[in-house]
Amino acid sequence: MLRLVIKKEFLTALRDIRLQVSGGILIILMLTAVFVGRQGQKQIQEERAKAQSVMYDKWLNQGNKHPHSAAHYGQFAFKPKPVLSFLDIGLDNYTGISVFLEAHKQNEILFSAAQDSNGMTRFGEMTAALILQVLLPLLIIFLTFNIFSKEREEGTLKLIHAQGLSMRQLFIGKVWGTYLMVLLIFLPTILLAYLLLDQQSASLDSGVTTKFLWLTSGYTIYFLVFVLLCVLISAFAKNSGFSLLTLLGIWITSCIILPKATSNLADKVYPTPSQFEFKKTIKNKVKKGIDGHNPSDVRLASLKKEVLDEYNVETIEELPVNWSGIAMQAGEEYTDQVYDAEFTKVENIFNLQNRLSEWVGFINPFLAVRHLSMALAGTDFHHHVAFAKAAENYRRGFVKKMNKDMEVNHKPGIAYGDYNVGGEMWSSIKPFNYTLPSTGSILSSQWRSIAALAFWLAGLLMLSFIYAPKISKL
Amino acid sequence: MKTLFHILSFEWKTLWRSNTLKVLLLVVFGAGIYGIYFGKFEIDKQEARISQVQQYERQQFDSLLIWAKLDTAIVENKEKYQQAVFPTGVGWNKHFTYYLTHEASDAAGLCLGQRDLFPVYYGFNVTDLARQVNTGELANPMKLLTGNFDLSYVFVFLFPLLVVALIYNLYAGEKEGGTLSLLQSQSTSLRVILFSKGLLRMLIIWGLAAALLILGFLLQGISLAGNEQLFTQWMLIIFGYCLLWIVIMGVIVWLRQPSALSAMLGLGVWLIFTLIMPALLNLFVLANEPLPNRAEMIHAVRTLNDQNWEQSKSFVLDKFYKDNPQFNDGDTTNFNKWYYASFSLLDKEANTSKAQFEEQVNKRNALLEKWEWLAPAAMVHEKLSELSNTDRNSHLEFVKEVHAYHEGLKELYYARIFSDEQFSIEDLQTLEEKL
Repeated sequence: MLRLVIKKEFLTALRDIRLQVSGGILIILMLTAVFVGRQGQKQIQEERAKAQSVMYDKWLNQGNKHPHSAAHYGQFAFKPKPVLSFLDIGLDNYTGISVFLEAHKQNEILFSAAQDSNGMTRFGEMTAALILQVLLPLLIIFLTFNIFSKEREEGTLKLIHAQGLSMRQLFIGKVWGTYLMVLLIFLPTILLAYLLLDQQSASLDSGVTTKFLWLTSGYTIYFLVFVLLCVLISAFAKNSGFSLLTLLGIWITSCIILPKATSNLADKVYPTPSQFEFKKTIKNKVKKGIDGHNPSDVRLASLKKEVLDEYNVETIEELPVNWSGIAMQAGEEYTDQVYDAEFTKVENIFNLQNRLSEWVGFINPFLAVRHLSMALAGTDFHHHVAFAKAAENYRRGFVKKMNKDMEVNHKPGIAYGDYNVGGEMWSSIKPFNYTLPSTGSILSSQWRSIAALAFWLAGLLMLSFIYAPKISKL
Repeated sequence: MKTLFHILSFEWKTLWRSNTLKVLLLVVFGAGIYGIYFGKFEIDKQEARISQVQQYERQQFDSLLIWAKLDTAIVENKEKYQQAVFPTGVGWNKHFTYYLTHEASDAAGLCLGQRDLFPVYYGFNVTDLARQVNTGELANPMKLLTGNFDLSYVFVFLFPLLVVALIYNLYAGEKEGGTLSLLQSQSTSLRVILFSKGLLRMLIIWGLAAALLILGFLLQGISLAGNEQLFTQWMLIIFGYCLLWIVIMGVIVWLRQPSALSAMLGLGVWLIFTLIMPALLNLFVLANEPLPNRAEMIHAVRTLNDQNWEQSKSFVLDKFYKDNPQFNDGDTTNFNKWYYASFSLLDKEANTSKAQFEEQVNKRNALLEKWEWLAPAAMVHEKLSELSNTDRNSHLEFVKEVHAYHEGLKELYYARIFSDEQFSIEDLQTLEEKL
């Protein structure tokens, strides 16, 4: 009996010309987004990989020079375009894509696509995420808004009930019928996307299949949540018109208005510090010491004393090692310490802001799936920070190596211009290599979103269980 | 005319008694007020940052002026005095960091546009600009992605939905409510009745838009006097945009479909114009015309910088003297002259490479602009941000100002550096005037 209901719902949906049209449009959009997006991802990744290797070649072939000059010459880090990013572009257009790594300073990650484009970018990019998160729920609304009221208006509900089918069974049947229809659109297209993955980029991320599976499951749950919600509301709405208006109202609020309001609110609750303050604080703390009582000249003097004592000599000239190399590295490390502390503060503020929006996922499932999807696609803030840290660590690594070489090999008494190293030194620095965060770290950073989806699913299942038998037959 | 008036007043009474209309208008009005408030909040925050920077600059320059008059007989004063009057500064400390700020236009709070993507100030000294402007403002990319809930957003996104909600059942509502045959039995033709109903709704929508716009000006403290032109332009764009939606809904009503289908069609067009079309354009242009690799710009500068340091001083000075013969005194050994000449060369190199990238970027944006008409929502939003000076071009203009300002500073600094002179009090006053 249940199977008959499911079949009936599924077939009615399939035969409805309006749904054929809107479902068809969705599939076409999805295919376009997947094909064109995948092409774009591949092209961008190739360009960045090429730029990365070209710049590394420049480093290798910079000629003979003093190691400190080489540290100033510097290197570049390009952010790889994650292989799943074409499914959800996330923050990719708003975060920088490359950073210049040089001695003495932490440069910003620059050149976001949004800065180079006109206002159109702000309207978003057609990716699977947009279709699945925003458009597909709309299709669910069209499928379900009159799923009960139509039968009620036509008087078939009583007939079905007379056949011995309980309202609960009917409810389950309608949910399944609709859900299958949604999966029929979703699963083949997402599977196609997986088959199309750019293998070159996929090889950079060993967790890609796991991430993909989680992504697919996340969406599968999101759709079920939406189907349950819509069927429930339409079951208790007094007529089709009212049910349509309510559902559209919910859709507009949760997909269009709330996300904007939430992130604007987050910025108000946890105000973003200004770049000016950020830089000034770092400068001051480097100059006056982290605690304000340890100015740079005092620090330098005590370091000097320490080094002189260590080598048991009176003056810098007598040192067997290069004092500038030691002083410079100590300076780097102190700045790094200050920078890390300040950077972490900003990072924490942004995390708090984003977390607020993740918590709102318990009110608005759209936000839950949005955060989860972005994270799994490798385009959320967590990934941006991971890249920033990897690039900064790489910078510290090669700058330290240059300073060390200067300390040990640039003997006192030899002029700066007379101590040079070459290719062997440069190639001892391995190319910048950044591995994407693991699935585990992504999931643990996104537990709120996962919990929110689970909460919605469990809550709606419970509501359905309680209220389905009470659906009016009239 | 009398009939029209009659229908209008009757329709107004019915509409006013329905709760749906009141709720809808209230929601959109509320969103509008929030948008106005939010826009003001954001602009105030930017203004606060701007004035913080300006105050800091003023304070720093005041100390410089005091230092320039210090008695150098006292040993402790020596370094401060030198810092004030040496155009090259002392040691690695440059003489002075100037700040140029990008003030918000009056209407910026109504449409924040692209302003949140760019820094609202640049701080730079007289050395090369190229390596001092690679900076941005701290911003949570998540917030940039979701965008701003300002008044322009309410107009561009929510007003069309209001139009759809008010008009979709103009015909079907009568039919499904069973009043259609009553209307048809009237002496006035159905077309006239429907037209007047539509007209009334248009007046309501325009009225609400005008009210929000006036409130927007008032609450953000933009005086209407003196800004008549700005106000009229906004008004015309918004009215025109609403009219476009009313016409679209008119066509949908004319199809005489059931109300649910009409609502879906209206929503469908809304989706196409505000979401699908812009997103598709972005997909085709942004995702498949990758941006030029701007890191090349930095690379060009660092390569030249590397050469400057590795080669003899004449490598830099020969080139510099050729471009700036007024400074040529044949000196190719002086450190300061070499040092500052090399900054000038870096900027020259950066500008050449930057122009090339700008051209590529412009070509790509021109492609987007060519197809912009497919997405009227994006077109209107772009137009509004242009009016409010919050679009990308307004930022580019600001960057040009920064370049011109920097060039202006260089005149005096380079004149003193290349004649090996200190700043006089008059020189500092000239610089003070530029602040």
